[in-house]
Amino acid sequence: MLDPTMIQTRGFHNRADGFELRLRLPYYRGLWTNLIDGATVTVDGESFGPETIRWRITAAECSLADLTASETLRWPVDVPAVLSVPRPKPLAIGFHVIDVDLRLRMSYIPVELQPTIWTEQRRLVITR
Amino acid sequence: MTTPHFSYGVSLYSYTGEYGVTMTLDDCVDDVADLGATGLEILGEAHVEDYPHPPARWVDEWFARLERYQLQPTCFGSWVDTRRFGRPMTIDEATRQLETDIRLAATLGFRFLRPKLGVVTFDLEPDPVWEPATERVLDLAVDKDVIICPEIHWPSVIRSKTVDDYLAFIERTGSDHFALLMDTGVFQQQMHLRDGGVQSRLGSGSAGPPQVPVVPVADLADVLDHVVHIQAKFYEIDDDLVDHYIPWPEILDLLVARDWSGNLSSEYEGDYAVGRTSDQLRRQHALIRSLTG
Repeated sequence: MLDPTMIQTRGFHNRADGFELRLRLPYYRGLWTNLIDGATVTVDGESFGPETIRWRITAAECSLADLTASETLRWPVDVPAVLSVPRPKPLAIGFHVIDVDLRLRMSYIPVELQPTIWTEQRRLVITR
Repeated sequence: MTTPHFSYGVSLYSYTGEYGVTMTLDDCVDDVADLGATGLEILGEAHVEDYPHPPARWVDEWFARLERYQLQPTCFGSWVDTRRFGRPMTIDEATRQLETDIRLAATLGFRFLRPKLGVVTFDLEPDPVWEPATERVLDLAVDKDVIICPEIHWPSVIRSKTVDDYLAFIERTGSDHFALLMDTGVFQQQMHLRDGGVQSRLGSGSAGPPQVPVVPVADLADVLDHVVHIQAKFYEIDDDLVDHYIPWPEILDLLVARDWSGNLSSEYEGDYAVGRTSDQLRRQHALIRSLTG
């Protein structure tokens, strides 16, 4: 079972090249990944743009451009995406304020109102 | 009121706030059967494992579950995501999407396919690709006996170019495998401002749908002969079993008077706080059953 929030409590970790966190798709169905317009992740006020973030959903880690180019990859509604964020130094053990801005293209909403943007802030603990 | 001939169903869309968070697919289906429905509506892209190619194990489990709960698959919700490629979708691409979903719907025992179509105008006219693509898959729909039924869904209205075009398509092709799906949200008499819904729970969406005037239930009478499935959209049934948003007495009067015999498939779209869906679905079924005696 997943957290009801978009930003998941589980999966927030440092790694050798930065940190990663998990996002649940904040929508009622899964999507073809070429409907993802990207995500911006901000940690304690330090922002990382869509082009810098790598995604791992059901296949190997890849870039937003790879998600856009694929005609077969999907983001299932019940499978969280792991976003890896490049950062020279690891985040300190303890609390961090995470902001995520996720943009998705909805085909059945007037284009003037697109993309649909989900924003969320959570205060998460990193343990390692 | 005479005995209604429609059957009762539930769309698993209703469990949006619970699915994957507090309830599994099994839990949702168990809930549908427990409240007394016989029809089961799903969203292919939400509820089918590894959509659009579920493993054989999953398909076996699907039929075992239907047998265990004595449920009939009704409508399979699908999408023609015309903005996938950053350019207009071609007729071939839209055709392939429809073919994929018709085959999958048939594999899972569904009789109806609701393709949600991409739009090209602010008042939600569907991408014109729908018409040639649909025409190309009509033979497959006949072969698989799946009826394609795009929805009339708020803020679209019944008296519209879109519905006129659907009816003209039926007339021109003479097909009995293309029809309409009616979503009762069209008849909402006041806006329901959702609290605790997907967007407020998970952040703020930037998209707000256009406003439209109230649609009279009388408009449904004009198209009801083409309506094969009804999504019984609702937002809130209060503690006195009253719905202040959707005019059920008028809708049910019409369905019974016309002897409509499809599936009335509940689609809860109210506040998604944990635990509300199951309770609200029961309230709606109790309300409808009490109104139809």
